[in-house]
Amino acid sequence: MTFQERRIKRRLLRELVDENVDLISGGSGRPGRRRPGRLARVARMALLVATPLALVASTLVISGAVLPGFSSAHGRVGELGTEPSADVLERPAQGAKAPGPEPATADTAPDEADLLAAFTTPEPIDASVFPLGVRRIVLDPGHGGENLGTKTPRGLEEKFLTLDITHRVEQALVERGFEVLLTRQGDDSVTLQERAQLANDERADIFVSVHVNWLVGSRESGIETYYLGPTDDPFLTSLAARENRESGHTLAELREILDGIYAGVRHDKSQELAASIQRSMVRSLRKVNRAVRDRGVKTAPFLVLVDTKMPAVLAEVAALSNEAEAEMLEKPLYRDYIADSLAAGILAYAEALGQPPELPAPEPRATSIAAVEAP
Amino acid sequence: MSDDQRVLHVGIDLGTSRSSIAASNKERHVVQSYVGWPADMVARKVLKKTVLVGDEALENRPMLDLHRPLEEGLIKTGSTRDEEAVGELLLHLLRLAGAEKGNGSPPVRAVVGVPAKALRVNKQSLRDAVAPLVDSVMIVSEPFAVAYGLDALLHAMIIDVGAGTADYCVMRGRIPTEEDQRTLTTAGDWVDEQLAGLIQEAYPEADFTIHMVREWKERYSFVGESKDRIKVSAPVDGRPTELDITDQMRAACEALLPPMIETMVDLLSRVDPDYQDRVRNNVILSGGTALIKGLGARLQSELGEIGGGRVKVVKDPIFVGADGGLSIARDASDEEWEKLVRS
Repeated sequence: MTFQERRIKRRLLRELVDENVDLISGGSGRPGRRRPGRLARVARMALLVATPLALVASTLVISGAVLPGFSSAHGRVGELGTEPSADVLERPAQGAKAPGPEPATADTAPDEADLLAAFTTPEPIDASVFPLGVRRIVLDPGHGGENLGTKTPRGLEEKFLTLDITHRVEQALVERGFEVLLTRQGDDSVTLQERAQLANDERADIFVSVHVNWLVGSRESGIETYYLGPTDDPFLTSLAARENRESGHTLAELREILDGIYAGVRHDKSQELAASIQRSMVRSLRKVNRAVRDRGVKTAPFLVLVDTKMPAVLAEVAALSNEAEAEMLEKPLYRDYIADSLAAGILAYAEALGQPPELPAPEPRATSIAAVEAP
Repeated sequence: MSDDQRVLHVGIDLGTSRSSIAASNKERHVVQSYVGWPADMVARKVLKKTVLVGDEALENRPMLDLHRPLEEGLIKTGSTRDEEAVGELLLHLLRLAGAEKGNGSPPVRAVVGVPAKALRVNKQSLRDAVAPLVDSVMIVSEPFAVAYGLDALLHAMIIDVGAGTADYCVMRGRIPTEEDQRTLTTAGDWVDEQLAGLIQEAYPEADFTIHMVREWKERYSFVGESKDRIKVSAPVDGRPTELDITDQMRAACEALLPPMIETMVDLLSRVDPDYQDRVRNNVILSGGTALIKGLGARLQSELGEIGGGRVKVVKDPIFVGADGGLSIARDASDEEWEKLVRS
């Protein structure tokens, strides 16, 4: 082992212990909680500001397709490799001594504290302090009105599918006793900001945005669920830019919103909700469609998730770009299966949290922006 | 570094299908992740035990309330019995390794692996299950434990494919973050389901269970070409009948490949371009499902079509996670272990 490798091992062991101490004491237990170096902090600050600026700027130039010039993360053609043979890897010899203790690294210089105070990620709050539960759910059918989303050569539009599936999810959840609101009831144009505003105004407990994917390469397919977080994947950045086209935000507003968005209870709960939905959908849909692929839970800077104040996810329930999946999506029964499995994922998340205290019956209200604003 | 005679270090890998333990006293054991309690008084009299674990539980399953308490590598929630089962499974492993607390063993320091996707609540619940049985415990991401044990902490990709989950993790010389890791459920159990479905289609009259399918897979799995036909025996209308399942086995195992390639490429694309080549040539395949014949070579060949790469299959995929946990346990200093006890 080289000196550098020993140093890395030593540092990682320290971080691992700190992460476990954090877990025991009720912190996030998330990796990477150790304070990064100065250069990393400045770079992170720049990324927090630059990413939303780039996304908003990109909404001015994108006309609908994936940005040209981006190679898919899912297929690069290179030259053929040599005759394949898998090496058998042996573990290094046992008994190698662990490196001795290293000198402690220097703490942050005091004169940097003020500069970084505004950008330091707030410490997360332990969610177990609050009696959280799920009672009111906002479902967001993606796109609508002039914003078709994606569309197959045969004319099947994403905006139709998201609305249809969301209505089915709504029915499944209402039957189970949840209060459900939709950000649009019909084929209406609603900005991303308005969708999030509805959820915030109505004090929803969770926000679930339903979309259908368009992947580069017609062979690609499957389900993926997103929660808010950074990404440096060019494909996901372009996907987020495409979905963020109708943000409704000004440049000035974005920075204020982004401060602290990655920290806190909402991040953890969003992650849990995304995992629950993904797990449920993959497991259930594989029973009726063996070809369903689990594309995993991912993070991306979707603006519709930025503005919401509650745990929020975006579910790409299938890939319209895949001919076989598009055919399945034409069948109402398959859309029923999707809706049931998505609802089951939400239910599992709610059950894990426990039931909230009994609340008084809500006042009757309009259930979507469009219904309020319609003449 | 602790004196192993004063303290016993263990690494534990709890898997959906198999769980393993590696201890600093050279004990290494693997058991099937099944726990069963006698279903009634008669069963208790026949079995002469109050709880059975592993192969013994599986063999006697008609007489048991049988549980497979881990799902996708994590403790099933919502069932008291499954939580008890995890405790019994852990106790069984510790006993096998001579690390049962208060039974003549020295203080036990345990490192336990969880899937990459495990959330805080999952880690906490595992901690709660292990903590009463040992003196000190550390929870780590399983692919990280594998990487640590293999000294592959920088410019490497670990693919740990078990029964419940396939964990993908790019090692960048730091604790992996969410962006570095991916967990898919397309793993060993999924292959079993595919295989069962394909056999059912080909032989609708055949009568078999998922346990039989799993055994066939573990004995005969392969990708690519097979020299011999695979013939297994299963009852058809009550009569043992030979079934040729070669094509079905190939199809089920090869179905793993597209999501594996896609996820590998996805993660590779997030690596700094300066280091992508290094990571691409340092892909390490481990986990029970890595034992599928030809899988490593085929992955390498598929990587070759999209820029090249090198895939190494770990020599001992069943124990590599537990061994990695043991390495971590041994390398952590007394002060570091003390911090965990004091917290």
